[in-house]
Amino acid sequence: MLGFVTFPAGLVMLRSGLGSWEKDGPAGGGDMSSFSKAPQQWATFARVWYLLDGKMQPPGKLAALASVKLQGLHKPIYHQLSDCGDHVVIMNTRHIAFSGNKWEQKVYSSHTGYPGGFKQVTAAQLHQKDPVAIVKLAIYGMLPKNLHRRTLMQRLHLFPDEDIPEDIRKNLVEELPQPRKVPRRLDEYTQEEIEAFPRVWSPPEDYRL
Amino acid sequence: MVALNVLVYPFGRLLRGLLAGPIATSWARLPARGFREVVEIQEGKTTTIEGRLTGTPKESPNPPNPSGQCPICRWNLKHKYGYEDVLLLSQFLRPCGGMLPRRITGLCQEEHRKIEECVKMAHRAGLFPNHRPQLPEGFVPKSKPQLNRYLTRWSPRSVKPIYNKGHRWNKVRMAVGSPLLKDNVSYSRKPLMLYH
Repeated sequence: MLGFVTFPAGLVMLRSGLGSWEKDGPAGGGDMSSFSKAPQQWATFARVWYLLDGKMQPPGKLAALASVKLQGLHKPIYHQLSDCGDHVVIMNTRHIAFSGNKWEQKVYSSHTGYPGGFKQVTAAQLHQKDPVAIVKLAIYGMLPKNLHRRTLMQRLHLFPDEDIPEDIRKNLVEELPQPRKVPRRLDEYTQEEIEAFPRVWSPPEDYRL
Repeated sequence: MVALNVLVYPFGRLLRGLLAGPIATSWARLPARGFREVVEIQEGKTTTIEGRLTGTPKESPNPPNPSGQCPICRWNLKHKYGYEDVLLLSQFLRPCGGMLPRRITGLCQEEHRKIEECVKMAHRAGLFPNHRPQLPEGFVPKSKPQLNRYLTRWSPRSVKPIYNKGHRWNKVRMAVGSPLLKDNVSYSRKPLMLYH
C-alpha cells in the first residue's frame, strides 16, 4: 500500500543499513512494492540527505527547492507535526548568480536593538562578508514561520565552495537537478558547432572591421 | 550605435570633412580596404608585420525567407532569440566587444536595438570572455570580487541600492531582462516577469 514511486531510487540501497531480519530488501524484481515490512518502513521514514549545487543558480530558486525538501512537502506521508523533513546540503554558495541588478539593488536590513543600530547592506556587500548568508536568509524566509523553522535550519548545511566534510559527503543520497539552465559561453562551443551555425549576414566587400 | 560623426576609422576625418557640406545620404561610403588579419613573423633579426587579406565571411546560402529585409527576418528568428544565443549575437560583434553599425549589418531599427540589448546582457553575464577591450601595454587590472549575474538590464555601476522598498501597494521593483524582448515566443505557461 505504501509504495512511494516518487521517492529517489537511491532509497533502495539504504545507507542506514537494513536490520538483521530483512536480508531481502526488494524481494524479487527490485520494485518498491515488493519490500517486506521492515525495509518498507525504513524506506518510508528514513531521513534522506540531498545535495544541491548552487553554481550560477539564482538563490531564490535554490531556496524554494531546499525549503520544500526540508519541510518534507515532497513526501505523501507529510504532516506538519510528524517531523518528516530531510537534510539538504548546498555547495558553491559563493558562486550564486542574481538576475537583474539585484547585487546592487537588493538591500538586507537588520537592527541590533540598540538606538542607531539600523544597518542596511546591499547583497554584494553581504556576500563579500559572508558567502553563505544570502542563501541562508532566503531559505529562512521561505520556511513556515513557526518553532519548527529553527530545527529545519539546523538540517540545512551550506558550504561556500566544493569542499564538504567527509562525514556529510558519506551521507549524501541524491543530487537534485539545478533549477536554472546555465547558458554556454562562447568559448564553450566547439569549433564544429560554431561553423555549423549559419552566418546570418554578409559584410560588404570593402568593409574594414 | 556608432553615429556618423564619431567614426574611429582613419578615413573618418576625411569623411567628416567631405560631409561638412551638403550631406547626400549616410549610405555613401568611401572605398576602404577589406577584412585583414595582422600576422607577425620573426625571421632571425627581421620581424615582418603583415596584414593579410582574409576572405570576408559570406551569408550562408538558402535563408528560409529570402524576401525578408533584415537578416533576422530572412532567417525567421524574429521573436526567437535571447541573451543566451551567443552564436547569433557574436556575428554582430567587433573583436573588442562593441556592436557593428546598423548600416553595415543591414538590421532593421527595432531588431538592432534588441540585439544591442541582448549583447549588453550577454557581456554582463560573462558569455563573451574573449571579446574584451584591448588594454594598454603592461596594464594589470585590479582584481574585483567577481559576482555572477544574468539578465542584467542596467550597468552595475549605475544602479543605486533600494533602501526603501515601499509599502505593499507601492513597491519599488527590481528590473530584470529587457522590455524590448517582451514579444519573444514563450513555450511555457509562465508569464515573462520583467520586474521582480
